[in-house]
Amino acid sequence: MSSVFHSLRWRLQLWHGAILLVAVLAFCLTAYRLAWNSQLRHIDGSLFEAGRSLGRGLMHATRGPGETAETAPEQIAQLLRAGRIPLPAELAERFRGTEPGYSYFSLYDADGHQLLHSENFPAATRPVHAGRALEETIRTVGTRREVVSGGPPKLATILGRDITPELESMRRFGWSLGALGLGVWALGLVGGWWLAGRAIKPIAAISGTASRIAGGNLSERIDTDGTDSELDQLGHVLNETFDRLHEVLEQQKQFTADASHELRTPVTILISETQRILKRDRTPEEYREAMQTCHDTAERMRRLIEALLLLSRQDAVGRGGPREACDLAPILREVVAQLAPLAERGGLRLETDLAPATCRANPAALAILASNLVGNAIQHHHAAGGVVTVACGATPGGVAFSVRDDGPGIAAEDQPHIFRRFYRADQARTGSSGHTGLGLAIAKAIADNHGGTISVQSQTGAGTCFTVALPGQPG
Amino acid sequence: MRLLVVEDDPLLLRSLAATLREEDYAVDTAADGAEGLFKAQQNTYDAILLDVMMPKLDGWAVLARLRPACRTPVLMLTARDAVPDRIKGLDSGADDYLTKPFDGDELLARLRALIRRAAGRTSPRLDLGDLAIDTAARRVHRAGVEITLTAREYSLLEYLALHRGEVVTRTELYDHLFDEDDSTFSNLLDVHVSNLRKKLGHDLIVTRRGHGYCIE
Repeated sequence: MSSVFHSLRWRLQLWHGAILLVAVLAFCLTAYRLAWNSQLRHIDGSLFEAGRSLGRGLMHATRGPGETAETAPEQIAQLLRAGRIPLPAELAERFRGTEPGYSYFSLYDADGHQLLHSENFPAATRPVHAGRALEETIRTVGTRREVVSGGPPKLATILGRDITPELESMRRFGWSLGALGLGVWALGLVGGWWLAGRAIKPIAAISGTASRIAGGNLSERIDTDGTDSELDQLGHVLNETFDRLHEVLEQQKQFTADASHELRTPVTILISETQRILKRDRTPEEYREAMQTCHDTAERMRRLIEALLLLSRQDAVGRGGPREACDLAPILREVVAQLAPLAERGGLRLETDLAPATCRANPAALAILASNLVGNAIQHHHAAGGVVTVACGATPGGVAFSVRDDGPGIAAEDQPHIFRRFYRADQARTGSSGHTGLGLAIAKAIADNHGGTISVQSQTGAGTCFTVALPGQPG
Repeated sequence: MRLLVVEDDPLLLRSLAATLREEDYAVDTAADGAEGLFKAQQNTYDAILLDVMMPKLDGWAVLARLRPACRTPVLMLTARDAVPDRIKGLDSGADDYLTKPFDGDELLARLRALIRRAAGRTSPRLDLGDLAIDTAARRVHRAGVEITLTAREYSLLEYLALHRGEVVTRTELYDHLFDEDDSTFSNLLDVHVSNLRKKLGHDLIVTRRGHGYCIE
């Protein structure tokens, strides 16, 4: 991996870490918020309670000795404005001090004059104007929480308390929550790293095996554990690819081996002849003869090379050329016409019995196939006056054509082998007579590529018949 | 020296035979294993060149049937160059193995070595007194001076020299100096012997009347 950002494992880890962080943060913030709200409700509850005790205290203070009825709020207000209520002792007791958690109050009239207040009333507090219609509001000022309310008509109250202890405890809570969240996140990261490693490990194994295979050991294959997981499927696909690669390379090797083997003898002839001729001065006739030999040999090599290339093309992935709908009859007619001069030279008659036979095939390949078979039939004749019959037609399974001759036939022990490359039954001479030994191998390759079959019926002395069957038009 | 070349490719057979004849060998040819085996059993050759892949009988089969009765040195020629094939060839009784394509001069040198070994010699030079015969260059020197001989004369001298001490019958000489296509009169042999005596001295070749010739 060239950088952290390229590694799958690291990227998984990064994403996992980010998502987990967001989740943990959200959780922590929510928890903190909830805890703070709960604290505030608690504080506000105590503030209202303080307000009630303030009211009670005022009522006690304004009640005269012997009176049992409670003073009405309007009366309290009047008395307050008249300045006739001193700060009662119990209120002074309740609302004093500056230790954390102290409470205080202040009462105002409509014009904002302070009528009564606790000693510890913070000077920095904003006054209120009782003239405006005041709803009860709670506000936080610095480290204090205050209730501002409009009490009896034209009377405003500020009631507050210091919430430093609560703030302290929230801060402590916040830190613990933060630490816990971090711990959970770290744990999650570690777990994620381990999990990612486990998932990625098979990839490393596959990658290693594939490198070895690509490096040359083409018989090795990736282990698949049969669980049909995604990585397993990847392994299967790669194995199939390697199978195909191996097959192709083996075919290439085979071709190269065949080519070099078969070309050895012609090359030997060229070397032998030219070396011999060059040893001393020769007559023009001798030179001519040697040249002719070299030329014939070179021609032979050319035919061999072309046949080998044709064969290798049939082996190749393209499977021998594009297909189209074609009719066997005109193709065979053409082949017969082309080979007629050759037949004539050998004193043979070419006869045809062609019925329409349409199939899906590559016409050029079929022409080569037919030409090989007819050419063979003509070449293998020993006696003049023979007949070679070419027939074609439709069959229940598709189409078929046959090439029959009344030549010397093929021995039973040779028949299973004749389609092999370079197989030569005894009667066949070496390539100097025009045979490459590949004609039937090419014919078979073409027939196979079209999904068809090629077969031979023959008896020694009773002629030979080659039959090619091809599947018909699909559908 | 008389050689048999067994090779199924007609062009190569022709070329090899021509090359060898130009080197003054008498050459018989066979185009398949069966014909080759027949000729090898019928005639005595100084060496046999045997192709491996042939119709009717392949080279190994010919060798198997030839040995152990026939001790003629055999040089196998083949397109099969894999080590197992070489081993098989040599173990089947071949004396040497050349893969195609081969260099013509190498073929000739190996043939000479085979023939020399079969005669029990280790060096291409044969010394008869002050006569030095170089079988590789096919030249004869007496006391450093070269003596010119015709091809037939040289072949005759070489054969007798290689079988020095043995009496070589006329039949044997016919067999080894002329190939099947040679229609010669038996007198020709005497003419060559006579010419050799003129050029090299009368003491060299001894006539054993009724038996043959000998170089002692």
